[in-house]
Amino acid sequence: MKLDGRIDVAAPPGAVWAVLIDPLSLAGCVPGVEAVRQVDDRTFEGEISAAVGPMSADFIFRSVIGRADFPTDLEVTTTGSDSLTGSTLTADVHAGLEAPDAATTRIVYRADVRISGRLAILGDMVLRATAGLIIGEVARCLRARLETAAGPGSG
Amino acid sequence: MSAAAGYDLVVVGGGSSGCVIAARASEDPARRVLLVEAGPDPRPIPDVIANPKRQGEVILESPYVRLYEVERPDGSTFPLIAGRVMGGGSSVNNLSVIRPLRRDFDAWARIGGEAWSYESLLPTLRAIEDDPDFGDQPIHGRGGPLKLVRRWKLDDPADPPVEALMAAAEEMGLPRCDDLNVPEPFGICASPYNEVDGKRQSVAVAYLEPARGRPNLDILADTTATRLVLEGSRVTGVELLTPDGPRSVAADRVVVSAGAYESPHLLMLSGIGPVDAIEAAGLRVRHQLDGVGRNFQDQAVVYLTFQGAADFHEEYLIPKVRLIAKSNAALDYGDLHVFLHPAITVRGLAPLLPVSVRLLDVRSRGRVTLASPDPLELPAVDPQVLADPADVRAMLDGMRFVADLVAHPRMAPFYGDLVTPGAGEDWEAFARASHITYNHAVGTCRFGPADDPLAVVAPDLRVHGIEGLWVADASILPVIPHSPTNVAAIMIGEIAARNLATADAAAR
Repeated sequence: MKLDGRIDVAAPPGAVWAVLIDPLSLAGCVPGVEAVRQVDDRTFEGEISAAVGPMSADFIFRSVIGRADFPTDLEVTTTGSDSLTGSTLTADVHAGLEAPDAATTRIVYRADVRISGRLAILGDMVLRATAGLIIGEVARCLRARLETAAGPGSG
Repeated sequence: MSAAAGYDLVVVGGGSSGCVIAARASEDPARRVLLVEAGPDPRPIPDVIANPKRQGEVILESPYVRLYEVERPDGSTFPLIAGRVMGGGSSVNNLSVIRPLRRDFDAWARIGGEAWSYESLLPTLRAIEDDPDFGDQPIHGRGGPLKLVRRWKLDDPADPPVEALMAAAEEMGLPRCDDLNVPEPFGICASPYNEVDGKRQSVAVAYLEPARGRPNLDILADTTATRLVLEGSRVTGVELLTPDGPRSVAADRVVVSAGAYESPHLLMLSGIGPVDAIEAAGLRVRHQLDGVGRNFQDQAVVYLTFQGAADFHEEYLIPKVRLIAKSNAALDYGDLHVFLHPAITVRGLAPLLPVSVRLLDVRSRGRVTLASPDPLELPAVDPQVLADPADVRAMLDGMRFVADLVAHPRMAPFYGDLVTPGAGEDWEAFARASHITYNHAVGTCRFGPADDPLAVVAPDLRVHGIEGLWVADASILPVIPHSPTNVAAIMIGEIAARNLATADAAAR
């Protein structure tokens, strides 16, 4: 499953990058992600709790920052499994930062998500819809946080 | 019974057709019958199978299904699902009892002759069922093995989102359809389900259970048929892999009822099928039949997911209301099933409400072929779902119908904006990249006359060119019905049992 899109934030690339590269900071902007803990400077873990109808599951994941070249390339590989079906998920996410004008940073992202096991029965529907909502929330959160911080007088 | 004596009949596959054949064939005490099932035969039947409320768990968590991972055109994968337990699909499906449409019988009769017409097979459909609501009507039956129940009827109270759906659909021109099993159902339908006192009535319960004590019926579970034994152009037995090791059984007749994936698989492993598939696996061709594994069909399913304004506690996969709708107003039949699904909730996020579009017309054709000469390896499946441009167009029209339905003011208290496909997303690309199937695979051992190059079996279900060998399951249907396939598979079991009895009588 491939997801791509862009998020425009009215803040300088350095400020946006600083949030994206810091898992604990970014996690505050990703709804549904809980119990985030940093394993080392490139690795973090967390959980997402989801339910489909009467069935609920915890999804435990580990993310590793594979490449971090400011400001063009941030690559994160996430692997995880769910407590309901024991299926595994691998997601390779690439984010690049562009500056379409002096006041805006554009995050251009693309993700390749692979699900193996029974989660794939529901996976596309659940993941696409959940990713759609989460990305919308991340965009709102980044804007709220950075556009306020980068407002008049903040430099 | 002594296996050394051999059997009059070996039935390979204890699914919705095979259990029916074994039960019917063993009614004659003079006929020695062996039923072989690759999956387990758990008794008492575990709650996860018997309890309809746990149907989602059977699919997502239990060992009673087999998954065939297949690729979409973009390289992403999803599993096709088949039952792998006594009762087959009827032990793991959503329990709905839905007949093929009259137009499906018309299509089959054009290929297979009058024996496949609606009029010819209506007595069989009636004999299968015990319908407490409509059993007195001429198209329905009472007293058959399969018990139906309508837990909920259209006039019963329903959850507010279901009420809203029905009102919106009615205002969009869909009629109410109390009986889903009329010859051409259309509109807002309440599904009948096969259960008694809250327990699933699979064919293992409805057909096989009453036959289990018969001295002329042997049952081998956890046993895989690895090869058919052929002498010249006649089948003489089956090689099996039992929990105790390999074993060969002799048989006068063999019926392969292993389903649309495993029936063509066993034929090809036995050298019966297309030359390219058999030789590519390094096996010897015993009998060329180009249609084996070809003509695969399953119905495409695409989900539209909306922001939810309210939580929603419907049972997963077992909808109260099934809309039968048209992708195109000019059609004279419903080519879509539409279900509401329960909320997806991720802690910290607003609920998401999926609605599925299920396209019943299938013009695309896929293929099942050998991936390996090892009988324990799964066959390769290339389903080609939505490959035909007309299927894609109909699916897109179905998606627009659902978007319009959900945008109806009646639905506004429950359903918000469309989340996926997202704003500006290409709906065709979305459908091609995210579809799954309704899991009603058919067609891979299709019936037809001997001069039909893709026919595997004759309309009476005997394999063309091999004496004593029959195929009887959903794989024999040349065209997929506009319905789920469990009732069709049970009917095929009844047809096969009758044809076998006729063949026996002729041989005496």
